Amino acid sequence: MAMRARRFEEAKRLASSNLELAWWIFMRVSGVLLVFLVLGHLYTRAVIFDFHHDLNYDHMVRVMNSVTWKFYNWLLLFLSILHGTNGLRYIIDDYIASGRARAWVKIIVYTLVFLVTAFGTLALWGWNYQPME
Amino acid sequence: MYRGREGQWAFYLHRISGVAIILFLTLHVTEISSSMFGPKWFNALLAFEANPIFGLGLVGVAALVLYHALNGLRIILMDFTSWGVKYQRQLWYGVWALYVVIGFPMLFAMLGHVFGGGE
Repeated sequence: MAMRARRFEEAKRLASSNLELAWWIFMRVSGVLLVFLVLGHLYTRAVIFDFHHDLNYDHMVRVMNSVTWKFYNWLLLFLSILHGTNGLRYIIDDYIASGRARAWVKIIVYTLVFLVTAFGTLALWGWNYQPME
Repeated sequence: MYRGREGQWAFYLHRISGVAIILFLTLHVTEISSSMFGPKWFNALLAFEANPIFGLGLVGVAALVLYHALNGLRIILMDFTSWGVKYQRQLWYGVWALYVVIGFPMLFAMLGHVFGGGE
């Protein structure tokens, strides 16, 4: 069961399992990393880059073939997906009272998240992008 | 502890922005990854997204992300310092002060891309 502790000491006391405490800590650690990764992503992709005029397939080929950006984007993808999905789990546990409905919603959400993550990972590591002729 | 006051608004805004961000994230990853389908598909997708409505949507998501990031740091201060819970309301005002300082330049840059002429 998700918990709503406001302090680390309280979290340690309330955690129903070591795994639940690990998720509580993960949300804080990934949160700090994501502040830098996401704001860095926004700065490089939306502030200094004119995404409205300069984004096209050839530009994407250069970004997607860059090993540096592959690592950056893969870390960003994994941390944000795990952070976001665990956040959704807290919300599902809080607002869906019926155990049966909760289980179904979780199965659907986790399946969708898995498919999207697999698709993104394939796009980053399993694809050879060729520039337009 | 702080029902109906700033702390509860901070909490609900954090949840609502979080849900909106993960929804956007799944669409965004799918959209960007579809560059695998090649130039014809991807440039057609970009032409569809050239409508300023999508640009404004990105501005909206960026606004939610900035709040979620700054309030997340406030939560961490509340969790790991001895004074964070006591000053959570002041911290929330700090979140909004930083929000304006960081957000306005971002807003103008992004609106400049969406409504500017390019180059």
